[in-house]
Amino acid sequence: MSRAVPAAVVAAVRRSVSQVCDPEYPEVTIAELGILERVSSTDGGSTVRIELVPTMLGCPALDVIARDATDAARAACAGADISIEVAFVDSPVWTPDRIAPSAVDFLAREYSVAVRRRSANASCPICGGTALEHRSDFGPTPCRSVEWCPQCRNPVEVVGRVEFPAATGAAQSSPAAMGAAQSSPVPA
Amino acid sequence: MNDMGEPERVTAIEPTGDPADVPGARDLVLALADDELCIGQNLGWWIAVGPFLEEDLALTSISQDELGHARALYGLLGDDIDAMAYGREPYEYLCAHITELPCHDWAETLVRHFLYDTAESVRWGALADSSWESLGAVARRALAEERSHLRHATGLLDRLLRTDAGIAHLLPLFDQLAPMACGLFDAPSGCSDEALVAAGVMACELGNQRAQWQDIVGEALAPAGYQPQWAVADPEAAPLGGRAGRRSPHFAALHAEMVEVLSIDPSARW
Repeated sequence: MSRAVPAAVVAAVRRSVSQVCDPEYPEVTIAELGILERVSSTDGGSTVRIELVPTMLGCPALDVIARDATDAARAACAGADISIEVAFVDSPVWTPDRIAPSAVDFLAREYSVAVRRRSANASCPICGGTALEHRSDFGPTPCRSVEWCPQCRNPVEVVGRVEFPAATGAAQSSPAAMGAAQSSPVPA
Repeated sequence: MNDMGEPERVTAIEPTGDPADVPGARDLVLALADDELCIGQNLGWWIAVGPFLEEDLALTSISQDELGHARALYGLLGDDIDAMAYGREPYEYLCAHITELPCHDWAETLVRHFLYDTAESVRWGALADSSWESLGAVARRALAEERSHLRHATGLLDRLLRTDAGIAHLLPLFDQLAPMACGLFDAPSGCSDEALVAAGVMACELGNQRAQWQDIVGEALAPAGYQPQWAVADPEAAPLGGRAGRRSPHFAALHAEMVEVLSIDPSARW
């Protein structure tokens, strides 16, 4: 019979996995990006389960992130006989609002990448202008769109291509509503 | 047996059972996953050869999204996603034939993209509140990503159908592809969509979804003074049945391309 995972080990795994960095931004952690959802003891206490939230279902970095999280968890367990389970969960849905303010500043400063959040207007990482104009939903990665800053006349990459549901798990239950969405203007 | 010693009457659907076990539920998910896999693979062809840079990025970003949706759907059916995606016999795939078309002409890709993504918006919508909870979660997640696909397809189509050249080029492609796209709403063999609706797996039957989709497409094309002909003109010339495991002539080359890396290195992963 397996012994329960001590709370201290779960905490150590949580600390270790929180330090895993995103492959696209190697100085920013998956905790800061809101990709790490939960670290807990499950399966009657014999397993540490790490729940991750994918930014996009087709993100090519998912496997790398899962592998790095597994490695970090194993390192924290230091050879103890504990099972590690890493899972991507469909709920909650990731949104750019999950990115920590410190990471938003870092992405602007070091990568010239803006973040579109509901809580604040995206601002130009080059000049700080806030009147960004939408140019294309599709940028260099699946989670980035392309906007244009009329103030400094630079194109700007913005994290957050997708209009995410207003509330976690909110259902788009009316198929007709999708049809109606076709004619709605492109949101700024 | 009840207390009268008679056999219990068997009801068609066990309401307390796992919705994933309703007959046809897994085949339907497999069919949708196969659609996404083939569309994703075919759109990926446009990498570096799109008609302009932004379009190159858009089509290949959409390709990545659709492959991600395939992966999420296969993940509902089992753990070995590669085996499901690549390791089956051709007759075991249930994709609709329209998804197998190479569409190496950009106008053809745009028309197929519009027909496919409008169809997807309807069917994800019908699954968003599914009693199969993890399927509902994937549908809601995918719907959020689909909006940009729809905006891309309808934005280009609207602009091009305001030109004589666009009308002359695109409308004949609708004649050709719209009947084939109807196959997206065929039920897999042995799948009763009435049972799926009764069990709450889908909000409405496939025929109903097809009608909603045809309305959306018809409405988008009405300003060009055009209504698509949905019936297959010559069923002998274009036998359908992708959902029944019949593959179109394009499938073999598409599948060979998909498994090319895996056949060199069987340990390669997605």
